[in-house]
Amino acid sequence: MVAREDIRIRSLSEIDIGDIVEIDEKIGGEYRPQVWERRIGYYLRRDPEVSVVAVEGDRVLGFMLGEVRSGEFGLEEPAGWVEVLGVDPDCQGRSIGRALGEAMLLRMKKRGAATVRTLVEEPMEDLGRFFVSLGFSPAPLVAYVREL
Amino acid sequence: MSMPTTTETSTLPKNFHDAVVRWKDTYLSDFDFLIENWDQHFPNEPQLELCAYREKGMCDRIECGEQVGDPKFLRAGDLDAKRGHQLLGAIRAQASTEFGSIQQHRLTLARAPDEQDQMWVLRMMAEELRHGYQMLHLLLDDDWSSVSELSSADMVEEILSMTTGSHVLGAFNIDFDSFVDNVVFCALIDRVGKYQLAMQKQSAYLPMAESMPQMLREEAFHLATGVVPMRKWVTQAAAGEVYVTLGSLQKAINKWLPRGLEMFGDERGGGTNVRLGLKPQKNREAQELYYKEVAKVVADLNMRYLRARLPDLSLAQAKKTLARIVEGGEVVGGIAPERLLRAPHAHFFRRRGEPAFEMVGVDGEEFTDVDEYSRHLSQHLPESYLASRDFRSFLELLRQVDVGDVAAAEASRQAPSLRRVGGTCPCSKSVRWVVEATAPAVI
Ligand SMILES: CC(C)(COP(=O)(O)OP(=O)(O)OC[C@H]1O[C@@H](n2cnc3c(N)ncnc32)[C@H](O)[C@@H]1OP(=O)(O)O)[C@@H](O)C(=O)NCCC(=O)NCCS
Ligand SMILES: [Fe+2]
Ligand SMILES: [Fe+2]
Repeated sequence: MVAREDIRIRSLSEIDIGDIVEIDEKIGGEYRPQVWERRIGYYLRRDPEVSVVAVEGDRVLGFMLGEVRSGEFGLEEPAGWVEVLGVDPDCQGRSIGRALGEAMLLRMKKRGAATVRTLVEEPMEDLGRFFVSLGFSPAPLVAYVREL
Repeated sequence: MSMPTTTETSTLPKNFHDAVVRWKDTYLSDFDFLIENWDQHFPNEPQLELCAYREKGMCDRIECGEQVGDPKFLRAGDLDAKRGHQLLGAIRAQASTEFGSIQQHRLTLARAPDEQDQMWVLRMMAEELRHGYQMLHLLLDDDWSSVSELSSADMVEEILSMTTGSHVLGAFNIDFDSFVDNVVFCALIDRVGKYQLAMQKQSAYLPMAESMPQMLREEAFHLATGVVPMRKWVTQAAAGEVYVTLGSLQKAINKWLPRGLEMFGDERGGGTNVRLGLKPQKNREAQELYYKEVAKVVADLNMRYLRARLPDLSLAQAKKTLARIVEGGEVVGGIAPERLLRAPHAHFFRRRGEPAFEMVGVDGEEFTDVDEYSRHLSQHLPESYLASRDFRSFLELLRQVDVGDVAAAEASRQAPSLRRVGGTCPCSKSVRWVVEATAPAVI
């Protein structure tokens, strides 16, 4: 179910760095080019097909980055991990997030993932609701953390 | 529909595998260093292996051209002469680029100013070796005797014997002068590779299509190997550092972009490949998309530079400012339009294709006098490149075209004038990369 006919989902590419930096800045208010140069470099090395962007013309409207890994938390079977995502605030609510999510899940399944996981910080209920609407449910996995 | 994709992994017959390993030991001697230090630089990332991958479950019907919908070809022996010829030429050219780029990158790899950039380039080179291996696998996994009189051993030998100067495509016959070339080459020339691979992913010859997905994944990283350091360098330049200036980056772009555009083939061609179902786009179509993409890379670099120079601007202000400088020609915050990067005009410094030997400047301006044009070129190309054989032979040909001694089309065929020093003649009795399987094993 794609948002609008002129919006297309495709694999992540290095050409998206500039647009993703902008979307992140619009969402979080901070200009962080180095963070995205490093992160996008990482996902491109890992598997550029599992991470996706939504484009209209040649402008990126949203992105979802993640990968398929095995051995995480002692889970041997390969699992997909959705790690970062963002939709341009001017374009939110147009089903772009959903289109990205659906494309990514399909691509992860093709990579052999039987489950897809993500972590949402407690205060970000919106993000949680977004994932629930994509068919995710809270997993019985409690995160422990300790300051050092 | 969403069955897990399977990938088949294979290696070449031992004597050919060993030939590639020998080639690697000669031209990519840092390969073992890369593997030894892999985990430090690429933790938890699967280590590169020298093998061929075929993705299974891809579309098995011809995707474009006159026979769209028919089953794809599984064996070279089933191809008609024309298709077989085109395809073999493409595999050979592709293989030549993969091995050729390693020979170029190795010249200046050690000069990388930054360890991470260097390791990325080294990994990229190792992946190019795998790409070359993948192409040899296409030659060796099938029987091409109905298409070529050369034995597969001779075809492999011919490819492994090419050196900078005797490769199939111009971009691979030009020496690198500094690490700026390594990086700009990745950003511009590997980008052409991405287009070619994406088109070949639809090839009517299924083994070719199946070879592409993993190569494309690797290619995405090669582009980042170019673009990420460029982004870093423009930021450093904005801070006033003198190592890689916008001027030197611009000149490197001017050196490589024309060669990248020519790798798509003549702007008027490509119809045969489309008709035969080997590629979905004609040359001009693909080339235009490529040029647009390069323009986007350049615009992003300018934005990165501008925001580093004027960090107090908001995103919206920065966008407006950039437009005022680039489109309005204004000087804002001390940044003049000519300071920023731009993609040279697509007809600039061309020796092949529709605009070959037209004297077009970086901004599309036309020259009528060869001397004036050569001065223009000298101002816009890297100084070290001006001293190269490649540039000299271009100017010599241009002069001949200008006085009417040679037609542009003929000059294109001659360019670049190759310096065939390698034993490219397959029957030469010099040292061979491929040792016959029956030869006694070296212990
Ligand atoms: C979460 C986000 C990706 C959603 O993108 P979007 O394109 O607006 O979402 P869609 O229009 O595709 O909506 C898909 C579903 O999620 C739900 N949803 C989306 N945003 C929601 C919100 N804020 N609250 C509740 N539900 C929400 C929608 O209602 C819709 O559900 P439905 O189809 O069942 O009605 C986007 O809002 C975003 O980028 N937020 C910021 C993310 C962020 O902070 N990233 C940085 C840290 S990782
Ligand atoms: Fe390659
Ligand atoms: Fe490459």
